[in-house]
Amino acid sequence: MSENAILEVKNLKTYFDVTKGIFTRKQIVKAVDDVSFDVKDNETFGLVGESGCGKTTLGRTIVKLYDPVSGSITFQGQDIAKLKGKDLTKFRKDMQMIFQDPYASLNPRMTVGEIIKEPMIIHNIYNTDQEREDRVVELLRIVGLKPDHIRRYPAEFSGGQRQRIGIARALAVDPKFIVCDEPISALDVSIQAQVVNLLKEIQKEMGLSYLFIAHDLSMVKHISDRIGVMYLGHLVECGPSNDVYHRPLHPYTTALLSAIPIPDPDTAKAKRRIVLEGEIPSPINPPAGCPFCTRCQKATERCHVERPQMIQVGTRTVACHLYER
Amino acid sequence: MALLEVKNLSTEFTTAQGNVLAVRDVSFQVDQGEALGIVGESGSGKSQTMYSIIGLLADNGIITSGEVTFDGQNISRSQFKTKKDYDNFMRQFRGNSMAMIFQDPMTFLNPVIKIETQLVEPLMNHTKMNQSEARERALELMRKVGIPSPEKRIEQYPFEFSGGMRQRIVIAIALANNPKLIIADEPTTALDVTIQAQVLELIDELKVQGNSAIIMITHDLGVVAKLCDRIAIMYGGKIVEIGTDKDIFYDPKHPYTKGLLNCIANPEDDDEDELRPIPGSPPDLLNPPKGCPFVDRCEEAMKICKNYPPEVTVFSNTHQCSCWLLHEKAVAK
Repeated sequence: MSENAILEVKNLKTYFDVTKGIFTRKQIVKAVDDVSFDVKDNETFGLVGESGCGKTTLGRTIVKLYDPVSGSITFQGQDIAKLKGKDLTKFRKDMQMIFQDPYASLNPRMTVGEIIKEPMIIHNIYNTDQEREDRVVELLRIVGLKPDHIRRYPAEFSGGQRQRIGIARALAVDPKFIVCDEPISALDVSIQAQVVNLLKEIQKEMGLSYLFIAHDLSMVKHISDRIGVMYLGHLVECGPSNDVYHRPLHPYTTALLSAIPIPDPDTAKAKRRIVLEGEIPSPINPPAGCPFCTRCQKATERCHVERPQMIQVGTRTVACHLYER
Repeated sequence: MALLEVKNLSTEFTTAQGNVLAVRDVSFQVDQGEALGIVGESGSGKSQTMYSIIGLLADNGIITSGEVTFDGQNISRSQFKTKKDYDNFMRQFRGNSMAMIFQDPMTFLNPVIKIETQLVEPLMNHTKMNQSEARERALELMRKVGIPSPEKRIEQYPFEFSGGMRQRIVIAIALANNPKLIIADEPTTALDVTIQAQVLELIDELKVQGNSAIIMITHDLGVVAKLCDRIAIMYGGKIVEIGTDKDIFYDPKHPYTKGLLNCIANPEDDDEDELRPIPGSPPDLLNPPKGCPFVDRCEEAMKICKNYPPEVTVFSNTHQCSCWLLHEKAVAK
């Protein structure tokens, strides 16, 4: 384990059994298949990929909402699979999550104060209700809401404000690590920037690490120190965000990047896209070799048979036969 | 002559809380073969403007004023005595002269009807084609939008298609009668980036080949930069700035347009500073501000902005903006 990694994921596999009926053949969705990466202290690790690539499942497995089939997740030096009782509670306190949909992730029948207070009560952080209340007011201030919002219900807030409530709730227990699962994709453009800036500020002040999951590549590049690109349950490339963006190695990363619409008419209209043919194969029946071989323009025979392993290329790791010798 | 001309269009919705002024005095035009992008945040009235033009407003929506001219023909609601006359007329008009592509292909397509029936229906309703001719045309359309093995796929149901393929079917239905104007309401928002790229490429091709005009409603500035010749920025039910793609991106005049451009991340720029978000949130159109809709979030707002709606300042024959700061008597900061 590298020295200052707060989280280390090794050969993680999360499968779902989707067999219907008793007599049919067993059907397994390999949502996350053999993924390894680490997140360092105070770092933002961005995870990108298209829908169905397993990025959300990976995030949820890390916060222990799903149990992996095999592999290990080490958080602050402890294997989280073995956590029980007090240690598990401690883990839950240190690892929090911000969800995608600010409408579905807040209980409409609880006031903002109750929502933010609940994790404090569960983790027994403060002794009196007054202390908790004071902390809620402080958190509301940190996330840019007003103290008198404490008695209101989620329905009275806009999407961006609700996402702030979700952030305040995650911060309520002083976590060290937050999994942000598409925290901005449900928000309007001018509000997205507000939330991204807020997340960055909080990180600076509280020394947090983030796993930032999103499909919006330009925002991910903006907020992340390092990026991992997922395709069909596999991590195909991983490295510092500027390197990955400007010199993508994996053919999928190249195609994904060329598909981003650039907000600049001259560049956008001149830009030649590598338009990928076809769509992502079903994760129930993934290709035998490289997961990307069915859509890859550079695929060779070997790619269809043998699965490439993650190899180190300069600052990055990439899983592609093109870079092996 | 402009293909579509909209003048002083206003639309209201009656709700239990009062009247929502969703579209307020909107004017613009679209020429043949041109792509106009309408950019705005949710609730800015961009979709309702289009629904007002194409006659698809919800029952509680009323067009209170305005004139819509399409290809020299006045198609405003005020031309018709009853709502029924208007609806009957528009039913023929839609799908023939103008067509719409919707955001979510799954709610647009009927899940229990075969693709064939859904594609053939607009053809048989609007032309004299018989069943087999219409089927031939349907297959041709499916080929045109890039659906592999159309003979097999035409027999299938929407659930058997992926999101990108479904959106292609929706586009094929819109193209059925070679409309002169295609209105696309966030056609790629529900799709993944690589699929979005495919669909945008397709729409771009249609524009070049078919010479039809396109109105693209979106909140994604990257999409308009790629596809559109002119861009209108909507805020609080009004068009605050309109110009060519270059006018808007390289020489924005309205504080909202500037703010919008400042708060998106440009991946090409590595040393990008902090994003500069626009503080606050969009106005409530139940009680829209008397003056400029952007006044509450504008850093440069003056007294006059609160009370009087800004006049239109014309910079060139393509570029216009409504902002008091641009008025000749405004004090330069």
